[in-house]
Amino acid sequence: MSEIKQHAFLFDAARCIDCRACMVACSVENKIPMDKTRIWVSGIGVKGEYPNLERATMVYHCMHCEDPDCASACPVGAWVKRSDGPVLYDSKVCIGCRYCMNACPFGVPHYDWDKGLIDGAFIDKCSMCPQRIDIGLEPACVATCPTDALVFGERADLLKEAHARIAAHPDRYVDHVYGETENGGTSYLIVSHVPFKELGLPELGPTPLKDISELIMGGTLPFALGLTAVLSGVAAGVHAYNNNKEAKEEHSEAQEELPAKTEATK
Amino acid sequence: MPNTLSRRDFLKVGGAAVGALVLGRFIPPLVAEAARATGMLDATNSGYIPTMCEMCVWRCGVLAKVEDGRVVKLEGNPNHPHSKGNLCPRGQSGLMNTYDPDRVLSPLVRVGKRGEGLFRKTSWNEALDIVATNMLKIKEKYGPEAMVFSSTHNLSQVQFENLLYAFGSPNYGTQRSLCFNAMITAFSLTYGVEEPSRKYDDVEFILMVGRNMMEAISTSETSELSHAIDRGAKFVYLDPRYTKTASKATEWIPIRPGTDSAFLLAMINVIVSNELADCEFVKQYVVGCDGIKAAMQGYTPKWAEEITGVPATTIERIAREYAATKHNALAHPGWRTSNFINSFQTERAIATLNALSGNVLTPGGCLSTEMAAEGAGLGAPPQPPYPRVSALRLDGVPWKYPLVPLKLGVFQELRDAILTGEPYQAHGWFISRQNPILSLPDRAKTLEAFSKMDFITTVDIIMNDTAWFSDVVLPETSYLERYDPLLPIGDKAFIRQPVVEPQGEAKSALWIYKQLGERLGLGDFFQYADEEDYLRQQLAPLGVSLEEVKSKGYAEMPETESSGEITFNTPSGKIEVYSETLKNAGFSPWPTWEEPPQPAEGQFYLLTGKVAQQTQFGTQNNKLLHKYSDEPRLWMNAKVAAEKGLADGDWVKVTSEVGKANVRLLATQAIRPDCVYLTPGYGHLSKGLTTAFGIGASDSVLHVTYTDPISGGQALSQTFVTVKKA
Repeated sequence: MSEIKQHAFLFDAARCIDCRACMVACSVENKIPMDKTRIWVSGIGVKGEYPNLERATMVYHCMHCEDPDCASACPVGAWVKRSDGPVLYDSKVCIGCRYCMNACPFGVPHYDWDKGLIDGAFIDKCSMCPQRIDIGLEPACVATCPTDALVFGERADLLKEAHARIAAHPDRYVDHVYGETENGGTSYLIVSHVPFKELGLPELGPTPLKDISELIMGGTLPFALGLTAVLSGVAAGVHAYNNNKEAKEEHSEAQEELPAKTEATK
Repeated sequence: MPNTLSRRDFLKVGGAAVGALVLGRFIPPLVAEAARATGMLDATNSGYIPTMCEMCVWRCGVLAKVEDGRVVKLEGNPNHPHSKGNLCPRGQSGLMNTYDPDRVLSPLVRVGKRGEGLFRKTSWNEALDIVATNMLKIKEKYGPEAMVFSSTHNLSQVQFENLLYAFGSPNYGTQRSLCFNAMITAFSLTYGVEEPSRKYDDVEFILMVGRNMMEAISTSETSELSHAIDRGAKFVYLDPRYTKTASKATEWIPIRPGTDSAFLLAMINVIVSNELADCEFVKQYVVGCDGIKAAMQGYTPKWAEEITGVPATTIERIAREYAATKHNALAHPGWRTSNFINSFQTERAIATLNALSGNVLTPGGCLSTEMAAEGAGLGAPPQPPYPRVSALRLDGVPWKYPLVPLKLGVFQELRDAILTGEPYQAHGWFISRQNPILSLPDRAKTLEAFSKMDFITTVDIIMNDTAWFSDVVLPETSYLERYDPLLPIGDKAFIRQPVVEPQGEAKSALWIYKQLGERLGLGDFFQYADEEDYLRQQLAPLGVSLEEVKSKGYAEMPETESSGEITFNTPSGKIEVYSETLKNAGFSPWPTWEEPPQPAEGQFYLLTGKVAQQTQFGTQNNKLLHKYSDEPRLWMNAKVAAEKGLADGDWVKVTSEVGKANVRLLATQAIRPDCVYLTPGYGHLSKGLTTAFGIGASDSVLHVTYTDPISGGQALSQTFVTVKKA
């Protein structure tokens, strides 16, 4: 086992040459089908008007949040945050509900629409190559990167490194390490020469969305119970009213059907 | 797999035994068995085997991860100077070359018309007999010179050359004139070294002229450049396109195509007229010190501004910055320098700029001309001297192109000589690991040249366009399935070795050339029992066993002692900024300006250039690379496209003097308004390439053939095209 306590990536958009060696390495290492990818290029590409141009691309992985929304949203526990960093997906547990897709603020879990429950593996996403990091190797993408745009290591060290790069070249970098606090902190840290929005990254606060959703989810059961009680009351009232009406219009043929919901609440 | 010999292995042993009976010898031990013996693979046939990449010519070290007889992953070898642990996307995709479903796995003989794609499978015995018989027939009837041989830049090339020189033909087609003739000829004439190596450790100023290092990746050098930029080195990049390299430059100069040398000559003018050069170094080591100021007098920044479109003040500033950085400034020699008829002058100007900065051989300097002689210290199989060749070379070297090195040649001229039949008619073509149909300019001409041939053989791993038009296709093993001769780099000799068993009937080039050589009566030139024996003979002087080299990945070479004396392998022993050799051949002895032609109204320069995911004309069928490649569209400046009523994604018809191609348009800001760009290597004719066929268009269809009279380089960007909605 690796001695690193909290694994993380550091991606430097200023170093990335968009060669896609990482994408190929990942595909081969993880035996990804030819029509799928776990890493993709995001960002606005070439921007500006000739000849005043700039390029903004990044290689988008799973962000491996410290406190992942996908895991929180999953009703069956198919998502697990490993204590040393990786956020892992277990296709054997997944029921294909796609809550994680909606929960992830980075749009990482991509649902495989062609697959049914029996085939399993609805979602392909970056796993941080646990099969490699567990034996002390870097993830496949990092190991091959020719320009060290991707590096890997202890999260705390990489945060220091990221801030050091910004301090050494304040003219080059945006003064922020994306992922240090975003969504409660991520294990994929990013430094960039362009605003993070141009790399295709969402603007997020330091509170994970899940904390907000959990706040809501926490209130959902009492709320639902309360709502049920209220609706039952209403239904009972309607029922009583109808019975009353029925009694009054005993000979009427146009007897109203009860709403299904009230039936169900009985 | 607990058994040491599976049923599959057993069948293979059986098959090999039958093959041995047929061919008499040449049964290397099974790959897995040998790897287990040296401890690289475990009992389940899994482990890592060191070898070398062949996805481009940079030759990175690779650690191939093998599981149960299949290669499942390639890693950059940290102990190899070209990879340093990294691989580019092509290197990472290498295993898909081996497992390409379109591999040719048995010898094929054409049964339909040329280009119809109808072949029958045959045995090696029959295929080699057919090839040898036809070659001997041509030799007997027309002389050995009627056979053309072509192959480029591979580790088995030394044995390919053996075959052609032993056969007695002077006609050797390399791709080099389509690539780096200008750079190599210019640096050979100026420094006496083909390609000086670059050192980025202390570089502070880098000038690159169209060397798209971030897309035409040379893993270790791309990495070094990237790190130099990262630590704050100034990087000035000249290119009409905003490439990914341009996006990393401190300063991108979208210079007018064909005018690089005017920019550089003006830089030299500023440096010499203001006496900013490293005088001490220049006086001691450079020929031309006295006359250079006068020779460069006319090339003022103002003069260059009108030609290049770059403001004089910018040129002057860059020249001064370059000079002020002294020997920590590097003017990069470039690589594919086949752009314009004047590309040789561009390279001469680059060579001169380096000489003026004194960066050569200075401690901490970033250009090195120290070159170990190729293969020095390694052994080789014994062989008799080659027969004397009296026939002229069809490619005009040296009788028409006196300064082109023989081993570079002028490939496009060779093709044209086949067409004209002058000075004599060629009748046969033996091609190995090369794709001239797709690579030579003016494809229609190349196809016509093919039609003039009595007999064509191609050695390849897939049915590339050239194989598709051949009479016999000999299937080679992929680079992960074969040995090639050792590659010396610095003080080590690196090995390429099989990491998996060859598929089907595929055989190594070393085997194919030997078998063919024996059938041609040239067996004495192939005195090795098999591939391993060849490598053992190479290793003999080093006293290292092949087994050790196989498991380590390299052999240590004895250190060559440096005399400490600075000399250059030129007639004067100095750096020849002024070259008598050039003068005697009737060319300008100084770097000089030669005006290239310009597109007419309504025409565009057609630019070419690499993408990071493909290599030349051979990788487009690799499914992994295809997966991560952008669609090869025609780049056009978005503003110009809008003016022409063309939208991004439109199908357009591109027309040049020699051909037409339909392709989709990419409207982009990242290119000069007077240029269009097309990724090379697409637009295949071969339907035997199920991934690549039907993708993109071939720029070779459009390229007009122009040859630089000094270096023999093809001027690939000198083709002008019109673009209309298709």
